[in-house]
Amino acid sequence: MNASLMSLEISVLALGLLLMLADLFMPVERRPFLGFAAIAALTALLIASFSGYGSCSISGTAFNGMFVNDALSLFFKRFFIIAAILVLFVAVQFADRIAVGIGEYYSLIVFALAGMLFAASANNFAMLFVAIELITVTFYVLVSFQRGRIASLEAGVKYLILGALSSSFMVYGIALIWGTTGKLNFNELAAVANQYTGEKIFLLGVLLVVVGLGFKIAAFPFQIWAPDVYQGAPTPTTAFLAIGSKAAGFVLLLRVLFVALPVVAAHWVNLLIVMSAITILYGNLCAIPQRNLKRLMGYSSIAHAGYLLLGVAAIAGNVHDATAGGAAILYYLAGYLFTVIASFTVITLVVRKSDTEDISVLAGLYQRSPLLAATMTVAMVSLAGIPPLAGFFGKFLLLKSVVALGAVNQGYYCLVFTALAGVVISLYYYFGVVRAIYFSKDVTDLSPIAVSGSAKICIWLSLAGILWLGIFPNTVLNLAAEAAKVLSS
Amino acid sequence: MNYANLPWIILFLPLAAATVIALFTLGNRTLSALLSIGAIVTGFILTVAFIAGNGFHPAVSETSATWLSIGTLQADFGLKLDALSLMMLLIVTGVGGAIHIYSFGYMHEDRSMARFFAFLSLFTFSMLGIVLANNFLQMFIFWELVGVSSYLLIGFWFEKPSAGDAAKKAFITNRLGDFGFMLGILLVWGLLGSLNFGELAAAMKANPAALGTAATAAGLLVFCGAVGKSAQFPLHVWLADAMEGPTPVSALIHAATMVAAGVYMLCRIFFLLNADALHVISYVGGFTALLAALIAVQQNDIKRILAYSTLSQLGYMVMSVGLSGETPAMFHLTTHAFFKALLFLGAGSVIHGLHEEQDIWKMGGLKKHMPITFWTFIIGTLALSGVPPFAGFYSKDSILGQALAQHDYLLFGVAVFVAGLTTFYMFRLFFVAFLGEPRTEKAKHAHESPAVMTGPLVVLSVLAVVGGFIGITTIYNSQFTPDAEKLTVAQQLLEPLHNIVPMLLGIGAVAVGLFAAYTLYGRTESDPLPAKLGGLATAMKNRFYFDELYEATFIRLHDGLAAVADFIDRWLVEGLCIGFIRGGTDLSGRTLRLLQTGNLQTYAFLFTLGVAVVLYLMLGK
Repeated sequence: MNASLMSLEISVLALGLLLMLADLFMPVERRPFLGFAAIAALTALLIASFSGYGSCSISGTAFNGMFVNDALSLFFKRFFIIAAILVLFVAVQFADRIAVGIGEYYSLIVFALAGMLFAASANNFAMLFVAIELITVTFYVLVSFQRGRIASLEAGVKYLILGALSSSFMVYGIALIWGTTGKLNFNELAAVANQYTGEKIFLLGVLLVVVGLGFKIAAFPFQIWAPDVYQGAPTPTTAFLAIGSKAAGFVLLLRVLFVALPVVAAHWVNLLIVMSAITILYGNLCAIPQRNLKRLMGYSSIAHAGYLLLGVAAIAGNVHDATAGGAAILYYLAGYLFTVIASFTVITLVVRKSDTEDISVLAGLYQRSPLLAATMTVAMVSLAGIPPLAGFFGKFLLLKSVVALGAVNQGYYCLVFTALAGVVISLYYYFGVVRAIYFSKDVTDLSPIAVSGSAKICIWLSLAGILWLGIFPNTVLNLAAEAAKVLSS
Repeated sequence: MNYANLPWIILFLPLAAATVIALFTLGNRTLSALLSIGAIVTGFILTVAFIAGNGFHPAVSETSATWLSIGTLQADFGLKLDALSLMMLLIVTGVGGAIHIYSFGYMHEDRSMARFFAFLSLFTFSMLGIVLANNFLQMFIFWELVGVSSYLLIGFWFEKPSAGDAAKKAFITNRLGDFGFMLGILLVWGLLGSLNFGELAAAMKANPAALGTAATAAGLLVFCGAVGKSAQFPLHVWLADAMEGPTPVSALIHAATMVAAGVYMLCRIFFLLNADALHVISYVGGFTALLAALIAVQQNDIKRILAYSTLSQLGYMVMSVGLSGETPAMFHLTTHAFFKALLFLGAGSVIHGLHEEQDIWKMGGLKKHMPITFWTFIIGTLALSGVPPFAGFYSKDSILGQALAQHDYLLFGVAVFVAGLTTFYMFRLFFVAFLGEPRTEKAKHAHESPAVMTGPLVVLSVLAVVGGFIGITTIYNSQFTPDAEKLTVAQQLLEPLHNIVPMLLGIGAVAVGLFAAYTLYGRTESDPLPAKLGGLATAMKNRFYFDELYEATFIRLHDGLAAVADFIDRWLVEGLCIGFIRGGTDLSGRTLRLLQTGNLQTYAFLFTLGVAVVLYLMLGK
């Protein structure tokens, strides 16, 4: 029992509560300040985690092994805090479009962050479920926060109902695992899982848990909700869904498959390969005809979930050494974080004055704001995976980890081929966005777009992240490799 | 002091100037020009300083850094510093510098002067790169850069269609030669395993048969590069058209530097050439010299006459290399750089003074109006014709001597005949354009060019007078035949007397040419030659129909092949293959999209269906 390990999570929860309270007492016109206060507080926590004072950098377990602090959780906790800080920047830009309760919006982002931090440390199915529900329930509210917009409410309802469906599958799965093995702790389960690999009831339980996590990361065939919800949700929520929620799904998937059940995962290589391949194709193919920017990003995020599953499939191929695949996933997520933030910041600023989110709003952007045009271009180019940006190196690492296993299982070669085909397809729609920025024929609106100081900070941070990760990958890659060692069994 | 870093600075100064002009000072004409001129003049001063400190054979003759290393292939980026490259460095920065300064006056009225100087500096950088390269790969890269920058400069007035066409013609013709050059480099690399000149030379010295049966092929393929760059037959067709570029460009590229690169390269890699390859090289050179001299006789455009004379002189140099005479070749290259740059700049001054008039039959009586141009031009003419004691006399004499020493009497005869032709066509130009009475209004109102243009003329004319006996041969000999005795200035002055036959025949040819030119063109209002020679004159005037011949054969064939390739690309590749894939991808995207109905019940159903399928696949069996 060592509750002090959780002081980071407790601080974040306290921050969320404080923001809510402050919202009550603060005059309406001062409320945007709350966003900056939250950013400052989270930045302090982030610095603490790097300087070694944060609880997250102390290894150990708490609550009978339900909660674990290790290199993997440390990596993800830093990732989530950075993601939350940048999302809060986007939210500050978005504040004028949220009619009431902007203070609550900030505090809900912080609560969702708390859920993600717990997810990073979850080492027990009960903990996993609680963390996931903390994230998901918060997101139900975040998605439907623009109460005046039908689209936002519709997205909220869809997310709620489909989310509930997936949660019910997952909790059923957890019950089956508990029923057959009597274990909920990941490490204890790992010790006994060998005896149950032939039991269909047990495997059914594990599959249902994977279904629930597949829903979070929006992998095929559980991706159906993503485009509608991404499109309808307020833009900062969409950004947070695309990175925070997806990354939380991945850290849990990695822990369940490779800490708790490596013996099962090793048998499911083909399932993971097929899921990865179809997810990549589905996301990229469906993105081609899209005109709505946020829906496009929704499909793109499905495709990226598919790329990330390459890494999962790679680890499953050799569960004893997760370094290559695990590090590739973690590195890719880091690059994806900055890219997504960059593109959603631009979308937030450009769409502000017009009621449409059609690609055509980008027309002439390079004249209206060269900075935004350049940022969007860099983000798209990085998503498409072109050197020297973060997206390229991440894809390179993922593909490399998979190719290395091709000699063992021919399926990996097919997967690499599919992934490359997906990359080629994706060039079409990513560069469609770039083309809209620079080569649109009928440009109606050429009024300059004002970019506030805080938006500039956010944009420069994202751009720096994209370039730094692409050109000097070693720092983050070393951290990621360190974290991935946890997954080797 | 050994100033080890100076050559690097000399090399990269022009690139820095080009970059700064392109990025920052395009709007400021004068500043751009000064940057470009400053870069090359500084380069010249630093070269002189380096030679003063180290002599022509520095202790450290090679500096290099590994540029990239892939497996066993290691590509270096290095500089080779010996008498050959240092002399070329002096020529490129010295003559080039004079041309840069002259351009400041010549291009003053042009609104894109800043762009012009950016290109000029880029060209200088590329040329210095060829000169200093210590390996084939680096030389090839700069070789291509020279091609690109000459393309930019020839097509500088791109609004004129003829300039655009000439630029393309020059570039493509050069690329043809470069293709062979590249094959040659690959062949040498494959057989000897190195690209470094020093290592190659050592390998060839250790085992002269190292190239085996491929030796002739390798030598001739490498020679292809020189055929393109130095405009030898059959790739000579681009040089005359390249006169569409501004006249200083013609002086810089098509007289002093770029076309000399081929000859320089041959001297640099001379150790790779075997007897058979040399034989071919000497005859290609001799034939080019004769062909170009014949064509020059019937040209009327002042720049084209000079262009064909350049071709002819390059033929001399290539022939000399082929006769194993690197020193005479490089000697002639050097003096030629002086007097041909002088002649081109003089022609530019005439064109400038006559408001863009280039036809010699529309000139005449320029002596009175343009005295400096007149006097410097006659010095250049005398030097080119090979009248003693001008520079051209000595260098041409050494080539004649080389031909005789090799007992190649056919080439010797050709060389003597071409010497006579050279005098003839140069004095034809001189008599018609400068003497007599002005034939047109423009010629009557000609005016002398400003000092910034005449200054370089004077400097170059001094070199054209004394270039033959100031020790240039001594420097080249120290590289190619180290045991040759060193001569004093007086000895050099009298050197041709040691070999009396070529000297007498050479002077005789000059006398005949001069006499013929005076008789025919001394005082005439129109060209008497077509009436006398008939069909031959027409053929000469039309450059022996080489352009038409190529048009009818190679270009037509190429157009046919291109049409077939275009058909395949457009209909089979683009239409059938890519169109099919693209359409299929697009269609599947649109179809899949239909799944996303937006209906919640459908979504829940599809989700559950997905779960069921996964469960069935994993557990159902």
